[in-house]
Amino acid sequence: MLPDALPPPDVCCLGLAKTFGSGPTATEALRPLDLTFAAGQTTALLGPSGCGKSTLLRLVAGLEAPSAGHVTIGGNSPAQVCARAGLAMAFQDASLLPWRTVRGNIALALTLARQPADPALVERLIALVGLDGFGDRRPAELSGGMRQRVAIARCLAAEPRLLLLDEPFGAVDELTRLRLNFDLPRLWEKRGTTTILVTHSVTEAVLLSDRVLVFSPRPASVVADIAVSLPRPRNRDVMATPAFRDLVDQASAALWAGSLAGPLAAE
Amino acid sequence: MIARAGAGPRALPGWVWRWGALLAALALWEAAGQATAGRFLIAGPSEIADYLWTNAGLVGRALAVTLQAATAGFLLGNLAAMALACVALLVPRMAWLISALALLVFCLPLVATGPILRVLYGAGTGPQITLAALAVYYTTYLPLLVGLRAAPASWFDLVHTYGQGRMAELLRIRIHAAVPYLVSGLQIAAPAAFLGAMVGEFTGAERGMGVLTIRAIGALDVPGTWALATVASGVSIMSYLALGALGRRLGTHPRDLLLAPPQATRRPPAARRALGRLGRAVGLIIVVLLLWQGLMEGFGLNPFFAKRPADVWAFLVTVPEAAANRALLLGAFAQTMVLAVPGYLAGLALGAMLAAGVVLVPGLGAAVLPVAIALRSVPIVTTAPLLVLALGRGATGTITIVAVMIFFPTLVACLTGLRQTPGQVMDLFATYAAPRRQRLLLAQVPAMLPAFFAAARMAVPAALLAATTAEWLATGIGMGSLMALTASTSSYAMLWAAIVLLASTAMLAYAGVELLERRVLRVYASEQRQP
Amino acid sequence: MPLITTSRRRFLALGAAGLSASAFGLRAAQAQSAVALQLSWLHSVQFGGSYIAQSKGYWRDLGLEVALNPGGPNAPVEPPVVSGQALVGISAADYTAAAVANGAPFRIIGVAMQKNPFAIASLPGNPVNSPADLVGKKIGMALANTPVLQALCTLNGVDITQIEIVPTQYDAAPLVSGQVDCLLCWQTDLPVAMTMQGVDNMTMLMADHGYALHSQTYIATTDALANRRADLVALMKGEIMGWQDYEADTAAAAQLTVDMFPDAGLDLATQVLQAERQAPLMFSDLTRANGFGWFTDETVAANIETLALLGRSVTPDLWDRSLLEEAHAA
Repeated sequence: MLPDALPPPDVCCLGLAKTFGSGPTATEALRPLDLTFAAGQTTALLGPSGCGKSTLLRLVAGLEAPSAGHVTIGGNSPAQVCARAGLAMAFQDASLLPWRTVRGNIALALTLARQPADPALVERLIALVGLDGFGDRRPAELSGGMRQRVAIARCLAAEPRLLLLDEPFGAVDELTRLRLNFDLPRLWEKRGTTTILVTHSVTEAVLLSDRVLVFSPRPASVVADIAVSLPRPRNRDVMATPAFRDLVDQASAALWAGSLAGPLAAE
Repeated sequence: MIARAGAGPRALPGWVWRWGALLAALALWEAAGQATAGRFLIAGPSEIADYLWTNAGLVGRALAVTLQAATAGFLLGNLAAMALACVALLVPRMAWLISALALLVFCLPLVATGPILRVLYGAGTGPQITLAALAVYYTTYLPLLVGLRAAPASWFDLVHTYGQGRMAELLRIRIHAAVPYLVSGLQIAAPAAFLGAMVGEFTGAERGMGVLTIRAIGALDVPGTWALATVASGVSIMSYLALGALGRRLGTHPRDLLLAPPQATRRPPAARRALGRLGRAVGLIIVVLLLWQGLMEGFGLNPFFAKRPADVWAFLVTVPEAAANRALLLGAFAQTMVLAVPGYLAGLALGAMLAAGVVLVPGLGAAVLPVAIALRSVPIVTTAPLLVLALGRGATGTITIVAVMIFFPTLVACLTGLRQTPGQVMDLFATYAAPRRQRLLLAQVPAMLPAFFAAARMAVPAALLAATTAEWLATGIGMGSLMALTASTSSYAMLWAAIVLLASTAMLAYAGVELLERRVLRVYASEQRQP
Repeated sequence: MPLITTSRRRFLALGAAGLSASAFGLRAAQAQSAVALQLSWLHSVQFGGSYIAQSKGYWRDLGLEVALNPGGPNAPVEPPVVSGQALVGISAADYTAAAVANGAPFRIIGVAMQKNPFAIASLPGNPVNSPADLVGKKIGMALANTPVLQALCTLNGVDITQIEIVPTQYDAAPLVSGQVDCLLCWQTDLPVAMTMQGVDNMTMLMADHGYALHSQTYIATTDALANRRADLVALMKGEIMGWQDYEADTAAAAQLTVDMFPDAGLDLATQVLQAERQAPLMFSDLTRANGFGWFTDETVAANIETLALLGRSVTPDLWDRSLLEEAHAA
């Protein structure tokens, strides 16, 4: 694997807000928000469906333009970072190209990142996500969990310094999800990549992150900021500890309290 | 906003492009008309306006007549398509046969069907209405059948849990699911119906746009010819837009033509597949021969012009002149194919490339699409002579006509296909700030393939129709001319032999494209093909 | 049951009485017989005599109700005549000969155009005045008409390989725009169109150079000749009367045509010119002596010779003058 010469960036959101549409039908997806994601940390964004956490992620990735405020990644704009292949994003469905093989899908990231083809790297990534022997298969021939592994491998291929994970395990079954939760973080933990993870699973948020931000229902605001200092690598043993359960309870409570503060409570 | 970079700093608003392109086209047209004045080639907008002003009553009455026949044919043809689709759905075992027969009838050349319809109906608008109906039913039938099947399995399970059967499926679910597909089929059908009605008038009519067109061409009345072509395309464009608007009011987003690939079926082993295909082909041939003979006997059509299968066989195989007959037929066939195939490929390429261009240069779409709709909507019976006049009688003219006929459906289908690229895939490319060209090549073009192949399939009959019509009305060579010639020599056995050859060619080419499509889509649209 | 029968009879009797009192009285002399005449092209003064017969009621007076069915680019004449939908069709000797060779039981019962209208049209700057002038020229024509050109060449000792044939359809534009030097067309259509558009042109009538072929011929089936003789005679009689009027005043015929078919897009000046140019083809010393539509054993023999050059071998009994004789006698 290439040495990661540059340190991971921090991500700053300043007065960041997003409104979709205009006039009476306008929808406020994100209220002005100030947030900083520390370099090299994994932060989980936890919140109810549709609260705007995915919008936040898309704003960071530069996929949406903010209505107000701005995002900087290590001092640069998202567009600048994207242009240098400095970030990678994983989507809820794996978003693999159905006409490319596993190998081709992973290699695509190198092409897009304007990096030279590196078959050996691709093979290493395939092995790393446990898909040895599946390099020539097409996505349609893989299970949901396998597709997600390919998507993660693709994310890592271009050595991004910022990982954006948008409910990457949302579409797989519970057992597979747990296994992915155990296995995959090791791939990026070692490199100290800055990671932002969107999830609506409390367990997953605590298990994967150094910090959990709990959001209220739309328009999103942060209702809890929980530091997670559990030992790594995290596995089933960690999950059995009181500290883990305590953090889960804390996040759950914040989630519940936040939902009472939101529009649902008014009804 | 790096993802959906619709409006960069240099991009002009859509209306600037649209009106600018329109004005530029009109100016160019007028200039061409002025430059070629006295050569009887091109009439500019001013001459056309003058003609229409002077002959408003005449053209208005003709338009009313043709429009009436076209509307009747449009309604009947689409009703027939709906009935066929429902039967195909309710009797799934018959679906392949119904589809094949529907395609076959659609592939019958107008030159051949016209006179027979005239004999069947006598004087009046019967042939016009029938030809209009024949021109539309297939382009409605196909998307409708796809639409009727385009509902998630769980919806049907829901119906079944209440103990309901096929009828309830059809009434409660399928019909509703099919509406968007129907609307897109109807959009394609509207210009086709008008063309059918015009060609119907060629079989002997007192009045109508077709009659006036023949008259104008014969009288060297260039402004008249161009004015009639303009009116006909105007009507077609308006009906196209009106049906689109209707679809939107119905709350559906028209599914642009035939995006669905051929029906995904479980794949039996190769040997059985080949056997099954062979069996169906033989079955189809038998059914067609029986229908052919039966219908002619049933209607009591005189064997002088309504040749039976045995007559054609004799003409091509057993009579002493059989070898000469075959040579003449195949010679003309070769002349046609030499033009139809390049035209077909050029039209597909042009459609796909323009679609790519529209994606690469936003704003181009606003300029290109209206022109494309207009070009496609001009009835081929009026464009063919004009294009040949403008481009000469060589290969270029005919190839261009064929290409023009098929590039628009291809463009529309490809544009839809390009837009079908999953949003997250586009996001993925955006996170790497991949340039537009790269997105197009690596993500959108492959995602476009199902739509492209659907268009390529439908373009097969259209290409043959265009090539033979151009030959018939303008260049005087090939199958189109040979078939028209049979009227003066009463060699109706040759006409029927030509029909058999053309229809078989269309069917085989269609099947060939479909086969290729299945292969390609197995890789490129594996998700679409999940049952 | 009997009750119903009685009342029904009474009703019928009443009805019949009412009819005979009114309309029946007018029509009693002759029951109108409905027939169709299949024209070979769109309505124009080409069929002016028939329109006159129609509008002046010549057929009605003969007890015939005639429908004039227009033709078109995709409307061959022979099928409706063979199938009995039209009693008579307007064809030409070569078309008819071909149809007979393919099994159609046709007879030519009258000849409207004594001289074949085929002509070579050219522009004054590059004229074709005689068949010899064709050598080295580019001629625009439907390939289907190659035998026609071949016949003309054979009749006049011209080598057809010295002429370059450019396939065109029926349209004067290739000549006007200089794509060809001359056109094979009808004397009465494309040259008229060019003249009307202000394009100076000249024509060489092929009939003046040995191309003897009856055109605008009336054809009927042998079955009709045997079984519907009275209708055929009446139809031809109306035609004869109509065309006599036409000869007397071609301009009036043109005016009538335009009036009868206001939706056909006809231009009066064009129709007048066409009507004028058509007359010399239809009326000759022969018709002046014997009447409209006439033909003789000699003209038939000349036609058979030309047909042989076109690759059609026919016998004189393709022509049947008996109806014409009856029509002129009555």
